Amino acid sequence: MTIPGSELEIHETETPVEDDSVVSVAGRSPTQLAIARFRADKLSMISFVLSVFIVLCAIAAPILVLLGVLHPNDFHQELLSDDGVAPAGRFGGISWDHPFGVDPGAGRDLLARLMLAITSSLTIALTGTIFTVIIGAVLGIVAGFSGGFVDAVIGRIIDLTLSFPQTLMLLALSGPVVVMIRQDVADFPGFGFFTNPDLANGAFVIVILAAFGWPPVARVVRGQVLSIREREFIEAARLLGASRRRLYFKEVLPNVWAPVLVYVTLLVPAYISAEAAFNFLGVGIKPPTPTLGNILADSVSYTSADPMYFFLPGALLALIVVVFNLVGDGARDALDPKSHR
Amino acid sequence: MALKKPLAAVAATALAATLAACGGGSDDGDSSGNSGKAEKGGNAIFFVGVRNVEHWDPQRMYIGRDLNNSGRLFYRSLVALPASNDPVEGTTPVADLATDTGTTTDGGKSWSFTVKDGVKWEDGKDITCEDFKYGASRNFATDVIIGGPANYLFTYLDVKTGADGLPEYKGPYTKKGQDQFDKAVTCDGKTITYRFKKAWPDFPLSIAQLRYMDPYREDLDKGDANNFAIISNGPYKLDGGWKEGTGGKFVRNENWDESTDPIRKAYPDTWDFREGDTDEAIYEQLLADSGDAQYAVTERRLPPALFSRKDEAGDRYTQVESPYVDYVLPNFNSEVFKDANCREALKLATDRAAWIKAGGGEEYFKAADSVINPGVPGYKPNPAFDAMGESGDPEAAKAALDKCAAPKPVKIKFTYSGGTPTSDKQASALKAGWDKAGFDTELDPLEDTYYSVIQKPDADFDVTWGGWGADWSSAGTVIPPLFDSRINLTGDSNGNDYGNYKGGAEVDKMIDDAYAEPDLDAAADKWAAVDAKLGEDVAYIPLEITIFNFVHGGKITGYANNVSVNGYADLAVIGVEK
Amino acid sequence: MLAYVIRRVFAGVIMLIVMSIVTFALFFASPIDQASFICGKNCSAAQKAQTAAAMGYDDSFANQWVDFAKGVVQGRDYPDDPELRKTAPETIVHCDAPCLGYSRERGDTVTNLIKDTFPVSFSLAISAFVLWIVGGVLLGVTAALKKGTIIDRGLVGLSLVAYAFPTFFVGLVLYKFVAIKWGLTDIPRYTSIAEGGVGGWLSSLTLPAITLAVFFMAAYVRMTRSYVIESFQEDYVRTARSKGLRERTVTFKHALRAALTPIVTMAGLDFAGLMGGAIITESVFNYPGMGKLAVRASSDFDLPTTVGLVVLLAAFVIVANIIVDLLYAVIDPRVRLG
Repeated sequence: MTIPGSELEIHETETPVEDDSVVSVAGRSPTQLAIARFRADKLSMISFVLSVFIVLCAIAAPILVLLGVLHPNDFHQELLSDDGVAPAGRFGGISWDHPFGVDPGAGRDLLARLMLAITSSLTIALTGTIFTVIIGAVLGIVAGFSGGFVDAVIGRIIDLTLSFPQTLMLLALSGPVVVMIRQDVADFPGFGFFTNPDLANGAFVIVILAAFGWPPVARVVRGQVLSIREREFIEAARLLGASRRRLYFKEVLPNVWAPVLVYVTLLVPAYISAEAAFNFLGVGIKPPTPTLGNILADSVSYTSADPMYFFLPGALLALIVVVFNLVGDGARDALDPKSHR
Repeated sequence: MALKKPLAAVAATALAATLAACGGGSDDGDSSGNSGKAEKGGNAIFFVGVRNVEHWDPQRMYIGRDLNNSGRLFYRSLVALPASNDPVEGTTPVADLATDTGTTTDGGKSWSFTVKDGVKWEDGKDITCEDFKYGASRNFATDVIIGGPANYLFTYLDVKTGADGLPEYKGPYTKKGQDQFDKAVTCDGKTITYRFKKAWPDFPLSIAQLRYMDPYREDLDKGDANNFAIISNGPYKLDGGWKEGTGGKFVRNENWDESTDPIRKAYPDTWDFREGDTDEAIYEQLLADSGDAQYAVTERRLPPALFSRKDEAGDRYTQVESPYVDYVLPNFNSEVFKDANCREALKLATDRAAWIKAGGGEEYFKAADSVINPGVPGYKPNPAFDAMGESGDPEAAKAALDKCAAPKPVKIKFTYSGGTPTSDKQASALKAGWDKAGFDTELDPLEDTYYSVIQKPDADFDVTWGGWGADWSSAGTVIPPLFDSRINLTGDSNGNDYGNYKGGAEVDKMIDDAYAEPDLDAAADKWAAVDAKLGEDVAYIPLEITIFNFVHGGKITGYANNVSVNGYADLAVIGVEK
Repeated sequence: MLAYVIRRVFAGVIMLIVMSIVTFALFFASPIDQASFICGKNCSAAQKAQTAAAMGYDDSFANQWVDFAKGVVQGRDYPDDPELRKTAPETIVHCDAPCLGYSRERGDTVTNLIKDTFPVSFSLAISAFVLWIVGGVLLGVTAALKKGTIIDRGLVGLSLVAYAFPTFFVGLVLYKFVAIKWGLTDIPRYTSIAEGGVGGWLSSLTLPAITLAVFFMAAYVRMTRSYVIESFQEDYVRTARSKGLRERTVTFKHALRAALTPIVTMAGLDFAGLMGGAIITESVFNYPGMGKLAVRASSDFDLPTTVGLVVLLAAFVIVANIIVDLLYAVIDPRVRLG
């Protein structure tokens, strides 16, 4: 498997975090300690500020479109050169009106399209991450807590999931599953919105990300649960007659959040990147709704006539991935001082 | 033939890809800008397009490029088209494996051909009348020999149609109903006779432009496993196997006798067919005229992004009009477009110029004014589309939309075949024009699933996209396949009539009349009348005619984009400098 | 040991069976009419039904799977029609065991298709593997040994950036700019050893292998670095040091050996995944490998090829898992199989 597959399974470099390794100093909680450590790391803080800016961009873009400030879908074919499709003028047709230039063939404002693309790509990545973590955490807790047969079955499901060739499944299933979402799923009352192609295509990407992305989360959570299970406060809760579900979710879950949080911060950039790779293979949200992936996929046809259109979205994508990764690294270091960078 | 994007199953044949005004296309059959004299020898290369060859089985081929290339290099037919760019000469069949161009004594209800003496297969066996009969019979094995244009034969050949709509004859493998076929197609010595249910005046033209009536060897037939097998009777044969995705190499067939063949010059010693290279890779080499590309021709079009560099190629750059027409279809089953006023508004709001610009500009497309390509007899500019102008008429469209019953703004869904670099932009360009006139368009791009969705009569779309080229030079291979509701609309499919157009008794009768007309010129006029009626009903809205932009290698001699091969490179007359 | 291997292989076979059932179920539920893709245009409803029947798609899900499984074990005839065997036996294709299916789309058995494409994917995987293991581990160890220096920071930063660019972007830069636009290398076109000799083979693989290796190299630099740093803190390394062993001995005999064990595991599994075809890299460079075959098969709904590839690729991963676990025992004396 190449990129999408490999990026789904993040190369886990650290041993699972163990809370009791955090030495309490001056009565501060582990969380406070972690935040303090994070704030002390300059690179992490810069990345954090940048990532907040990116998220704000993503939130602002659709609002600006509604307010009529950004025009991601207005054609300006008069800005294109006569004997071809590339924008007239240097560097992809950069001008005051279009600071990032316009896209070839249509002449749409690239800045507006890229901002809106961040919105859709981030939405897909975040939603995918949330589903991944929910599936992974639930199965991990159940496996870790139940042990025995249930644990073994979940372990086999994990093995099975990991041995599927993910990219191939993505390609092969995209046609049928998207049709299924748009026809069959949309028939359920309340799910009618899935007839919308963007939502159906986006949903498919999220399903694939979550369906193949959860096993590592489940493994981390399971390991965490195993180490917590035997500890006193769980014993105490059990003796007090707490129900199983209460044990799972009220007692254990709050104690596995740290490694899960690290995972989340690393999954988001991996999923942003995966969305782009999927779109290169023709799977995902289609234009005119922009995503980082479909803009890049479109730019492939114009690499020689309009290189700016190829490199700009590529650099933006890489920047976002780097920034989120750095935040993730920072969070991990802060939560687990044993890992030395 | 449907232009399938992104699958691009383009079965090409229409004739008369006339030369566009600009560009350095050649003017006659066998000369081009090259100074090199045509002579035997050398190795030529053909770069196969993004879509790989799907079938080399003559009865299964339906893509124009493959029909042309195989006919020029290794498959001969009873009659074939000469290597000519003259609109008349290039579309008039000449005798190839037969002694003449066919005889009919009953106005086309039966046709007879006599096989030439001395024509052989690649293994030295004579080509017999039985080989032709066997080849024809393979079309009926609809569970094995699929993908080809057999339907024409089912319509015409004198074999009864069963309850399931398929012929009662089931092909040579099961031999069910063999007696019916044996009566319809007979061999008398070297003379083969085909008998039809109704007159088929342009039958010779259909077998010259398609390969479905080519001879086949019963003793070598392995059914589906022969999909990429080539049993040659032309100047070249396959050396080794064909590898899907990589290609194959053709060498001289020693059992081809040049004296029996009026068409194929067979200059190069070998033809190397290559699949799997990208457009950019090929065109960078072709523009620079470097490496293997010097000896290469291709059916790939110069990518629009590289168009500005065409001058680097000098007279190795050629431009020809393709036999295809692209159009959009209002869905007659949709609430909105049941209303003729709404269709009229859609037509007037359609901005062809923006669509063309988004697709690569005027060097790549020419505005179309009929679903019939100008190269096909029966073409007349359809008056119904005059009012559209170049970029539509938003004011007139608004006025027309006021009369449209649907609530304003009129919400419509445009389902099209996405996934190609330009299709999404082209669709957005149409949306911009429609929305300006008061529509509210939702774009719905589909890729692989496109045809399976829009062929459903109850599919939820208001407008869709289509592309077509004639199977042979007759409007009878354009209008009925696209708009005859009787053959297209069955309970669960609309065939090629994606807009679910039902012409009713009047149009049905016009179509039957045109079919029944034995005189081909008179028939052409009748088809033009049907087209005019379709225009009045806004059964379709024409967009453009694709223009081919090609570059060939500098060591190629005799390069020609002939009408006889739909404007593609004519491999029958191409040679290479040594 | 033998018992362990047998048990693992047995479990692997069970897993493959479950896999193939799941795959069949996924595709069987597909609302797309595969027959119409083969049937082509001008295909009437009756013809479509006939095509579906010829391909066996009208059969029940269970029967289709049983036929598939039988084919893997004992081979299969296409079409399996007793009547046709009498009237026209020459049109029946026999597919020897292990038969993964027959593709109507490509007119060949899936086994043959894989035989044609596997060498390409394998060449690509092995050359990328060599690049990223050598590069990734060397740079990772260097970074770890120079921890905190500018070299370390540079390497970590670089790998972070390399990791951030998607493979297809890296590939396109190499293909469209390095090779095509700037003409710095030949335009890559896969050349087998038989066609171009070892030299031609290697040079045709350079750009795709780099493309594929960049991502893994970035990941392996970071991974190796952190494992090595970690292992330097282990008690046995401290013990070795306090015994007065030379630093070089400590580094190579103790710290690195321990650090490399998990890397071997990871590398084995990554390599197994790649053997089945690097879909994106092969698409960018148009290399006729299994990845490209998969792309084509899924775009025209060539079910037999897709299912065959899924099952085969899963088999690669399962076998690699077994091998890696065995290797693990060889490298790391602490691991006991049982």
